[in-house]
Amino acid sequence: MVLEVEGVTKIFTRRGKNETVANENITFNIKEGEILGLLGQNGAGKTTLVNQVLGLETPTSGKITLLGHSVVKNPSKGREICSVQPQSQLPLGFMTPSQAVTTMGRMRGGGKAVVEERRKHLFDKLDIAQWADVESAKLSGGARRLTAFCMAVISPGNLVILDEPTNDVDPMRRRLLWDVIRQLTDDGTAVILVTHNVLEADKAVDRVAIMHNGKFLAEGTPAEVKGRVKSQLRLEVSLVNDMPAPDTLRWAISSHRSGGKAIFSVHPNETSTAIEWARKRVDDGSIMDYSLSPTTLEDVYIELTGKELSS
Amino acid sequence: MTKFFNDFTYVFQMQSRRSSGFLMFFALIQIMLSLGIVIGFTYLLPSPDPATTLFLATGAPTLILIITGLNILPQQIATAKVEGYVDFMRTWPVKRSVIITADSLLWLLITLPGIAISTLCAHLIFDPGYAITWTIIPALLMIAFTSIGVGYGMAYALPPNASLALSQVIVFGALMFSPINFPMERLPDWLQHLHTVLPLHAMAEVMRAALADSAFSASTGNYITLAIWCVVGYGGAILILNRTK
Repeated sequence: MVLEVEGVTKIFTRRGKNETVANENITFNIKEGEILGLLGQNGAGKTTLVNQVLGLETPTSGKITLLGHSVVKNPSKGREICSVQPQSQLPLGFMTPSQAVTTMGRMRGGGKAVVEERRKHLFDKLDIAQWADVESAKLSGGARRLTAFCMAVISPGNLVILDEPTNDVDPMRRRLLWDVIRQLTDDGTAVILVTHNVLEADKAVDRVAIMHNGKFLAEGTPAEVKGRVKSQLRLEVSLVNDMPAPDTLRWAISSHRSGGKAIFSVHPNETSTAIEWARKRVDDGSIMDYSLSPTTLEDVYIELTGKELSS
Repeated sequence: MTKFFNDFTYVFQMQSRRSSGFLMFFALIQIMLSLGIVIGFTYLLPSPDPATTLFLATGAPTLILIITGLNILPQQIATAKVEGYVDFMRTWPVKRSVIITADSLLWLLITLPGIAISTLCAHLIFDPGYAITWTIIPALLMIAFTSIGVGYGMAYALPPNASLALSQVIVFGALMFSPINFPMERLPDWLQHLHTVLPLHAMAEVMRAALADSAFSASTGNYITLAIWCVVGYGGAILILNRTK
């Protein structure tokens, strides 16, 4: 095991204000070479959890063990064993991506030749070599984000923590980024991927934990987590008019709206009724088109967190 | 020890490269500022006697060190805090004291051109009667590190806005209300008492004794005051950087 988290609870107390429970009784493990996706909305407690693994914050109760060392007793172990890409953009000022990544690689104990070779490899893989020697302040948000990513993985620790690594990154380079993350695990490096980009995480992670209000609502392989919901099918329709009230549709288990689209979880026995319904709406022009596909993590995520919200 | 050197080298590289443009700019500002103090004050005092000129000439280096450590540095740290860079530094696999040591050296280096050039210019223009002794090296280091250490402690202990405001007050206070460019006796009693506790007067005395050995001397008390403030500043900063929430 690279990381073992056992019953971690973190409560913040601020003077004159109520206590905030940021993490509540969280338990999970990460093995060598495994990617764990940590999904949750803003304020779900993801960053607090990660900060405790890094030894930057101390749990109110519970145990955190990295490669057999207790991070609670010895916080500096956290930042020795883990390398991090923080969520916020790094203000690297006058440094070029090449300087920033090389310096970080050397600081993390990488040899000169190894670091230089790996830097070139990473820059080529992510298609950012053309910006290698441009001052960071003059770079686009995406290029800076990828620089911060390279800083985290140039001489990776046993556990790499990536907090929203795809923010600001264009769709083409996002794909390249996922490839590099996957390759990272080949030599046993474990990865925690903190994100709210659920659709992308679906393809990239080995296991996933859905976090809400400081608790894990579900944890397991994407397939296991998807098994938590009744329906395994989703109907996505592009709307012309307003969304129909879902309670009038008996085949719909749940629904939500995302931009000009409505997404329904379809009752397994009612698939044909749902398609019938959609086809008619296309004919009369109230929806533009529709598609039926297997349930994604996003559907599970919305169903699980939505239930929590309404209860 | 090799780990310390490795860490120090790359932390120093990281910090100096990140701020290289600013640092050159600050070094230039320091040169102008120190020249300004030596030359500019002679406009304020139309026909200064040799004693006054010597006071100004031996006060300028102290002011440079105070402005760097207690004004520019806290401003930089306040900005770095707001930008999230301080949080990022906290994730580096190095001891926090390494970061502070590397930063201190960096800030010391940018003050040196200003101090050297202004002293040389003052010597050539006014010949105020410098009598520089070897004590200039320990004096410079002690004053610089006290100023930088206190600046650090202040910037890490206070919220960004508060340290920004305080750093402005300190610069104004150091320039106008501290016995750096003029003798202590000119200040009202209560300010004199205050300056026996604050490090500013001690800094000025130690610097003066090193630059004009024949005219001034510093007391053991001055050195002790500096040492205490230095330890408090750095100690506080390291304590705060190491604190887990």
